[in-house]
Amino acid sequence: MNDIVKTKGLTKSYRGVSVVNNVDMRVKEGRIYGFLGPNGAGKTTTLKMLLSLVRPTKGDIEIMGQPMSETTRINILRDIGSLIESPSYYGHLTGAENLRILAAVLDVPEINIEKVLQIVRLDKQHGKKVSAYSLGMKQRLGLAGAMLAFPKLLILDEPTNGLDPAGIQEMRELIKSFPTQYGMTVIVSSHLLSEIDRMAEDVGVIANGRMMYQGSLEGLHGIDKTKSLEEIFIDLTGREHSL
Amino acid sequence: MIKLLKCEFMKTRRRYVLLSALAVTAVMLCWIYPDNYKEDFLRMAWMGSLYELPLVNSIFMPLLSVIVASRLCDIEHKGNMLRQLAVSEDRGRIYDAKLIYGLMIMTFCVLISWTMTIAFGYHADFGGAVPIKLYILYLLFTLTPTAAVYIFQHTASLCFRNQAVAFFSGVIGTFFGVCSMFLPQLSTLRSLFIWSCYGVLDFVGLFGWSKENRYKFAHFEVMGIDWKSFAILVLICIALYIAGREFFKRKEL
Repeated sequence: MNDIVKTKGLTKSYRGVSVVNNVDMRVKEGRIYGFLGPNGAGKTTTLKMLLSLVRPTKGDIEIMGQPMSETTRINILRDIGSLIESPSYYGHLTGAENLRILAAVLDVPEINIEKVLQIVRLDKQHGKKVSAYSLGMKQRLGLAGAMLAFPKLLILDEPTNGLDPAGIQEMRELIKSFPTQYGMTVIVSSHLLSEIDRMAEDVGVIANGRMMYQGSLEGLHGIDKTKSLEEIFIDLTGREHSL
Repeated sequence: MIKLLKCEFMKTRRRYVLLSALAVTAVMLCWIYPDNYKEDFLRMAWMGSLYELPLVNSIFMPLLSVIVASRLCDIEHKGNMLRQLAVSEDRGRIYDAKLIYGLMIMTFCVLISWTMTIAFGYHADFGGAVPIKLYILYLLFTLTPTAAVYIFQHTASLCFRNQAVAFFSGVIGTFFGVCSMFLPQLSTLRSLFIWSCYGVLDFVGLFGWSKENRYKFAHFEVMGIDWKSFAILVLICIALYIAGREFFKRKEL
């Protein structure tokens, strides 16, 4: 299986302090990659570097076989859908109007708007402004925006943040369906171990900016069979967190 | 670019940006409405308006720029849309599209106030024919400082999430721009300060005005046209555009 994302020595420092340190990330095509780490571990910064929202201090990024550079950036990014930190939207417009703007920017046919609204189950919300949406609905709209061009790679940063249990379950089921139904590769980050455990096939564990483990989820379970996944995670990250 | 401009138009639906801009223009037009002019002034008001308008512009145009730029850029910050746009389109083009859209609104407002000034002149009988060449020159000397101020406001509003940064820098600039009109001795400094360029490029002078007789024995005359300051301003516009675009492209989102 090909690696759709490869990073080598990816580093980001602010005023000499590394928030991401020599990260070598490998994401296999057609899989769900769970990017796990405590708050402030460097997950979002890493994902932002993959999306060129933050410039790496050092290191290389290769996505879909192409090295990320100033000239290749936009072509690569057009094959990536993303939802970083919080959903992006124009509150004074309806969900469909929001997606119409994105569709125009991405040169995507308008028929995709109806499709993605159905997938995230927002197709009945015609005429409702996004500012009146619940957080879960906004998150689903963000996901619809990320999926609009049916990209090869979907990068989702803490997509279940702030959702109620029903919303979390709904989001999880949606994400799990993407590789099989649409042939997408998904990178999903979370600080919630249970979420990644139920969603991902491969895992990367990051702590203090360093990749502590990368491999299959089964492999993570198998590090120490006498310990729970939570204990393994704490051992790896060297910190105690309520998970 | 047309595609991105269309998007800008779609984004501003129900935001009434043009309406807000026209409301400010209407207030400005009330200020220059000829009923405010005395009879002695009215007989030479074609030239008199060209003398007065740069002061009015130096107050209203920067404020209009603050409002338009802030309203156009704030919609991106409020819903974290810049991040989404930056992964979908080249950042330089995003900067350009928003700038062009804002400049179109500003130009429209300048043209409205310009047309209305001439219409007021005919309506109130300013006396004689409209000196159209001078009015076209005035239009050029209004649009260029407006473009410089707008590029500055656009960059500040787009790059700083907190719109107070753009607002206060615009208000402070306006204040010093107006003050500088009363300091002609600082000519070099004035031509480098974009907010004061409305006054720097004012090419009509008032002669013979006195406290007792006011405009009775006064007349307006075209003084030398300051093409050097105009050229400096055009260069400042280009520099502001390049610096602003580059800053936005490099900004971490």
